[in-house]
Amino acid sequence: MPQPPHNALGVYISIPFCRSKCTYCNFASGVYPASEHTRYVDRLIEDMRRSHAWAAQMGVDLPRTVDTVYLGGGTPSLLEPHLIERLFAALRVEFNLTADAEVTVECAPAQIADATLVALVESGVNRVSLGVQSFIDREAHSSGRLHNRAAVLSDLERLRSAGITNLNIDLIAGLAGQTFASWDESLAVLLDTGIPHASIYMLEVDEDSRLGREMLAGGARYHAELVPSDDAIARMYETALDRLTASGPGASLAQYEISNFSRPGLASLHNLRYWQRRPYLGLGLDASSMLLDSESAYALRSKTADDLKAYLEDTESPETAWLSPDRRHEEAWFLGLRMNSGVDAAALAAEFGRTRVAPALEVANRLAHDGLLVKDEGHIRLTPRGRLLSNDVFQEFLSLEADESEARPPVFESALESRN
Amino acid sequence: MESRLLRNFAIIAHIDHGKSTLSDRLLELTGSLTQREMQAQVLDAMDLERERGITIKAHAVRMMYKAKDGQTYQLNLIDTPGHVDFSYEVSRSLSSCEGALLVVDASQGVEAQTLANAYLAIHHGLEIIPVINKIDLPSADILRTQEAIEQAVGLDATDAIPVSAKTGQGVAEVLEAIVHRLPPPTGDPNAPLQALIFDSWFDPYRGVVVLVRVMQGTMRKGQRIRLMSISKAFDVESMGVLTPKPVEIAQLSAGEVGFFVATIKTVSDTKIGDTVTDDAEPALAQLPGFEELKPMVFSGLYTVDSHEHTLLRDALEKLRLNDSSFFFEPESSAALGFGFRCGFLGLLHMEIIQERLEREYELELITTAPGVRYQITLTDGSELDVDNPSRWPEPTNIESIREPVIKAQILTNEEYVGGILKLVEEKRGKQLNFEYATPTRVLLTYELPLNEIVLDFYDRLKSVSRGYASLDYQLAGSWVSPMVKMDILVSGEPVDALSIIVHRDFAYERGKALVAKMRELIPRQQFEVAIQAAIGAKIVARETVSALRKNVLAKCYGGDISRKRKLLEKQKEGKKRMKRIGKVDIPQEAFLAVLRLGEDQQK
Repeated sequence: MPQPPHNALGVYISIPFCRSKCTYCNFASGVYPASEHTRYVDRLIEDMRRSHAWAAQMGVDLPRTVDTVYLGGGTPSLLEPHLIERLFAALRVEFNLTADAEVTVECAPAQIADATLVALVESGVNRVSLGVQSFIDREAHSSGRLHNRAAVLSDLERLRSAGITNLNIDLIAGLAGQTFASWDESLAVLLDTGIPHASIYMLEVDEDSRLGREMLAGGARYHAELVPSDDAIARMYETALDRLTASGPGASLAQYEISNFSRPGLASLHNLRYWQRRPYLGLGLDASSMLLDSESAYALRSKTADDLKAYLEDTESPETAWLSPDRRHEEAWFLGLRMNSGVDAAALAAEFGRTRVAPALEVANRLAHDGLLVKDEGHIRLTPRGRLLSNDVFQEFLSLEADESEARPPVFESALESRN
Repeated sequence: MESRLLRNFAIIAHIDHGKSTLSDRLLELTGSLTQREMQAQVLDAMDLERERGITIKAHAVRMMYKAKDGQTYQLNLIDTPGHVDFSYEVSRSLSSCEGALLVVDASQGVEAQTLANAYLAIHHGLEIIPVINKIDLPSADILRTQEAIEQAVGLDATDAIPVSAKTGQGVAEVLEAIVHRLPPPTGDPNAPLQALIFDSWFDPYRGVVVLVRVMQGTMRKGQRIRLMSISKAFDVESMGVLTPKPVEIAQLSAGEVGFFVATIKTVSDTKIGDTVTDDAEPALAQLPGFEELKPMVFSGLYTVDSHEHTLLRDALEKLRLNDSSFFFEPESSAALGFGFRCGFLGLLHMEIIQERLEREYELELITTAPGVRYQITLTDGSELDVDNPSRWPEPTNIESIREPVIKAQILTNEEYVGGILKLVEEKRGKQLNFEYATPTRVLLTYELPLNEIVLDFYDRLKSVSRGYASLDYQLAGSWVSPMVKMDILVSGEPVDALSIIVHRDFAYERGKALVAKMRELIPRQQFEVAIQAAIGAKIVARETVSALRKNVLAKCYGGDISRKRKLLEKQKEGKKRMKRIGKVDIPQEAFLAVLRLGEDQQK
């Protein structure tokens, strides 16, 4: 897959509003009154304007050229049409959106008003991701989704008629009450829609979601006792791989990342930039940025407040951390390996130096020996088994000693000193 | 001070019956400490002691009390360790006293530990004042507690003092009773010196500090003294008493209690129960009752990170400075690398040492299954003591094996007797006696192999009796038993650190339970892991940990890579805390799985 240049930016805009909170959700999103929407968009626009000065102050590059935009949630389609229009207008003032920029908005099925659809199209949105999660109405309902299968199919129809054909559907393997048969059915319906992109996620059990907490506590709320076993979820994932990538009418998707499948040329450029380590600016609540300092080879990660009140009142500055070249090299492995194209050993050596890459290559050889990785033509990739155990693989590339540092990169510091 | 104004006493109480709170009140009432200086429960100084609510080290505090008769008395409170592992220390502390307060919880009644120590105190000829504590609780029943003391201990409890150490009610009466009901010490200040050592510790600033009760004669600063059991002489550099703050004094005469610092370099020279005498004019004999403390429970200690081996050695050496009752020597294991074979007085003592190493020295430890020392007679007639399964001789060379046995007293409520009898049978116990201590309380006396006690006996006992049983024991020789070594194989390879010694007739059951427990404790790995128990070449049990199918993060998180990284780091940290043997990561708990076999029966 050709890697686009690093001198264009991706912009992620977080819209944390939802009509109801899904049981499995572990994002900083919530059900807030619509009166907050305007204030929130005002804050977003303010941050957008300040972003250039902030980047200059931090000493990182913030390209003006933007080639991907992603409105994620929450449920961005809940914003009123005029707020959507204002947001995109401001974005175009502050940044140069390329003519062929990929502009994605996440939408919840059955929650896209006609006027919203018009506003999206007029704002230049050319890709929509639908959080379907399951085509089985009972499963969608018990997870807290507010749609049914018919609503999804009708939304797809409407989006296509409006000219948005680059569409994605999210499915989650491991929802409460899911069975192998019901999973097969969801996959079949997804393929029937002829959609060009699908994301297959697996239920995550952690303290950050209501369902996860309930499962960890061994309770039965949110149908926690009906969540399939880990082994069953692994099998569902494998089934999805088989079904989505099988040749035949409707099914011509290819996997390009652990969770992502697409028709040729329709991979999500915005999501790819996370794995390809291309720079992105995150705006809004609980949004992450990764920006490069071309002088020092350090990168800056930052994350905004995850409390809506703190964000609206602008009382919390983002958490920042500098990534040394050592850390960036580690991340190059655990991010790069997520993609089916894998890690290009020669390119990494060119970027980070042979001495840094050599020990990682040894790790890769060992993991290849264990059947978790394969090496061909200088590319290192996960095997199907390695993909399901990818956390075990990625850990091997982490050194726990190299800790995240609040300190500025040395080059930046010396530049400051020479200025004094 | 004139000996008629001295009173030396101990407090005997079960855990949680309020010994520490009562001690604090006495200190407060005698003005030894101001309210501000009172850190709750002053006497239990070590963090661990405070947390566990037990006393591990003995202490002695001098209080000056102006009684109602107008005279000022010197009261020495000698605090005794509160656990059966330390019963020898208890007996030495009691030997330093003329009297004791027997503290019984007004709602709980008499427990086995209290009973055992009360008997010990009576045996030492101590005058006993029963104190009924926690009378402020709604469940308090003073009359029944009085009856229980009379029936179980055989003491007249009509003059028992009802108190609430918590509110202070009745504590003044306790002080008066100490003065009027306990006898003063006897002893001749001019006789040759005989002082009983009942505790000692290493103080980084002062060196070895020794607590003594002077029985005969007088001990002075500058005196050249001799420790009789080791026949070594030292010069007394300083002397003092704890009030509880240390206060320097020039001498201690017959009947008094205090500490001294001499030119002693190691704690192991100051053996508890030893007699201090004058080097030039020694006493004719040692004080009675001295015994060498012998470790009873043995286990291997290793660091998870083998690079920390020398840190462990340093830490053990430091701990031993303060505790000569545990011993260690280097050992090595094919699975765990270099470590130490350690001997402890009991299981609690082992846990305390282990916790201190982890807490105070920040070491991540692997402790192997605790065991006891067997006396083995080989077919060639030679004898061998073995406390380490990896030194177990070839079965064909073994003529006979003797295992250490204890005499246990279990005091419980009638309704739990059935469950307890089943447990002691299962633990290979032999009944010696069955008697009613009160109409509803039963005192069981059993002989049990120590090996069974060091495994999960306490927890099982607690569980079958819902906590209404208490245990006390003494060593009672040994008996011949057909013991065998059971090996544990992980993925087909024997792991020496997991081997245990079991009774032949119970080997199959124990092996099955052990591998089942290990299957629970060993997390799923990238491949299937077989866990087997074997005796010699014969596999007696097998369990399989199926291969891990999925450990993957399938989500974008809007580019929040730090979140992913944290999760990976957390997982990696978790693995680092495990010991990799071959290709299998084994968590620390799995090495002590044998201690947790009873858990399933408890459910």
